[in-house]
Amino acid sequence: MLLSLFSVEGNRILADKRINPNIRVIMHIHEYQAKELLRRYGVTVPDFAVVSDVEEAKRVVADLGTEKVVVKVMVHAGGRGKAGGVKIAENGEEAVLFAQEMLGMKIVNRQTGKEGVVAEKVMIAPLTDIDKQYYLSCAIDRERGCATLIASPEGGVEIEEVAEKDPDKILKIPVSLGGRLRSYQLFELAKFMGWKGDVAKQGMRTAQAMAKAFFDNDCSLLEINPLALTPEGNIVALDAKCSIDDNALFRHPKISSMYDPSQSPSREAEAEKHDLSYIALDGNIGCMVNGAGLAMATMDIISHFGGMPANFLDVGGGATAEKVAEGFKIIASDPNVKAILVNIFGGIMNCETVAEGIVAAGGAFVPLVLRMEGTGVEEGKQKLVAAGIDVVVADSMATAAEKVVACTKGN
Amino acid sequence: MSILVNENTKIIVQGLTGQAGSFHAKQCMDYGSDIVGGVTPGKGGAEVLGQPIFDSVAEAKSVTGCNASLIFVPAPFAADAILEAEDAGVELIVCITEGIPVRDMLEVKNVMERSSSRLVGPNCPGIITPGSCKMGIMPGYIHKKGSVGVVSRSGTLTYEAVWQTTERGLGQSTCVGIGGDPLGGTNFIDVLELFEADDETEAILLIGEIGGSAEEQAAEWIKEKGTKPVAAFITGRTAPPGRRMGHAGAIISGGQGKAEDKIAALRSAGVVVAETPAEMALAVKTAIK
Repeated sequence: MLLSLFSVEGNRILADKRINPNIRVIMHIHEYQAKELLRRYGVTVPDFAVVSDVEEAKRVVADLGTEKVVVKVMVHAGGRGKAGGVKIAENGEEAVLFAQEMLGMKIVNRQTGKEGVVAEKVMIAPLTDIDKQYYLSCAIDRERGCATLIASPEGGVEIEEVAEKDPDKILKIPVSLGGRLRSYQLFELAKFMGWKGDVAKQGMRTAQAMAKAFFDNDCSLLEINPLALTPEGNIVALDAKCSIDDNALFRHPKISSMYDPSQSPSREAEAEKHDLSYIALDGNIGCMVNGAGLAMATMDIISHFGGMPANFLDVGGGATAEKVAEGFKIIASDPNVKAILVNIFGGIMNCETVAEGIVAAGGAFVPLVLRMEGTGVEEGKQKLVAAGIDVVVADSMATAAEKVVACTKGN
Repeated sequence: MSILVNENTKIIVQGLTGQAGSFHAKQCMDYGSDIVGGVTPGKGGAEVLGQPIFDSVAEAKSVTGCNASLIFVPAPFAADAILEAEDAGVELIVCITEGIPVRDMLEVKNVMERSSSRLVGPNCPGIITPGSCKMGIMPGYIHKKGSVGVVSRSGTLTYEAVWQTTERGLGQSTCVGIGGDPLGGTNFIDVLELFEADDETEAILLIGEIGGSAEEQAAEWIKEKGTKPVAAFITGRTAPPGRRMGHAGAIISGGQGKAEDKIAALRSAGVVVAETPAEMALAVKTAIK
């Protein structure tokens, strides 16, 4: 199964295996939600039920009889199978046992980060027999500046593997604005996938429905893997992934309500609440910076001097003192943090506001190195001194980085 | 000569009646930029900062004769604002707004490809030609008229670079922020071509970041067509793959978009790449020698 997001670049399709599911600008929804979305557009999805406790699971399997049943954890992360989050039960009783086991299960892998994510829901579905598996997705091709449909007759495996071993097995079709696939494109797709007769009709209908759903809902990625052909000759979506462009949520209130904070690392979820761009990392130097580029550059220079950043944090251009305070508290709440570097280039952002925020947060219990330049720099420094906050002031990015790294290396 | 903006740039501000629009327009006027009006649908006839407000860009253009538009319109309406300016035939459109949905930008990109107007941004700090015109949100006082052309995907990191080149006495011919979104208007190569043809620009500083392959394409161009010294800095060496680092476009995916690859491509094109963000001006000096 492909792990969430990927990008299409140049002539190759590439996927990121290490994608963390909780990124700003992309909102993920659960498999069952993606399936419901696809179904609304006319994609055939086998029946399923989603439960959040054992009693519910019992009721669901009672309706299914003794058929074989698939039980899956609903988490915003790939690698569920390897982590024991996908199981096939021989009968209803076993399915209930599996559901019990999986509810509350913590999935920890490279995608989820150290904290892991907890499954609060599981999906229960009758097992579907499969004759052949395909791959189908829609994504944005940033180089060509268009949406692209990606298809492969090799489904059920990670698409990046196919891209690497057998790039000829992947077809990319540019999608018109509005999500319309032209008839010649659909015929090209059917031929490439080896679909004939009624199967071709179903396959083409599925691809068109998917492209339309992708556009209508401002998706960043919409993926069906595997898309399966059943022994009865039906084309059905067995697994689905979907992420939405965060910036477009204002026009999708229903999708916005699907935001699931339980699927984000706690500090990132907290930052999200305050509209702060925060990403947890493995190091021990907390960083607070204004501007994404400068924030990344600050991480780079810390690492250049032998340190390890504990986070990425862009407080943004127009942040208020309250927002700065929240950001500062989030950084300071990371138990790994041994020192904090504040690097602000005042422009729109006034250094005085940053200082007010740090004071409001009550300073830090670890050494604090401050580098400020630009608007309100003197007032900002004075404010910190007046509040009795102990800071090491540095006058350039390089000295600031050297000083903060020294703080974490003993003495 | 400088590029894109100068003392003849007559600017209207779309979204001048908003908080961000009026604040930054004031800063631009204080710097000496020629702001000649604003556009907010439904507020035509009003006045902000002593400038007339129009209901549409077309009206504003016919009355003021503006040749540039600076956009501060909120993200849900910003793509329409760009398309309106294009439709009215405004030559230069600079969009500051961050967070425009990708779907909206797909349409904008489609239109701009066939247009004679130029779009810079979105999600960018704007353009400044020190001493003559500031069309954006950058702090004006850190700039100094000089010989380095700066082009960047970042905002505050550009201020850092500008500050360094000012302190070292190099100064800037023009600074262009092309923005941090995955889909934007003017790209690195467009700006490199303009700097190449500009007499005042003696050297170029290119500031890139992880994600996409714009820096690699720029390196190709420099190798084949560039004659001026170029220095660069690429940020995001330590960024974890698969995470979007604040900017919508700053993401390493599937092993593509890595800082190392961009640095290697630029170096192979003869570009002096700064090791750390503290050495950007130094890299320019080295490139000039």
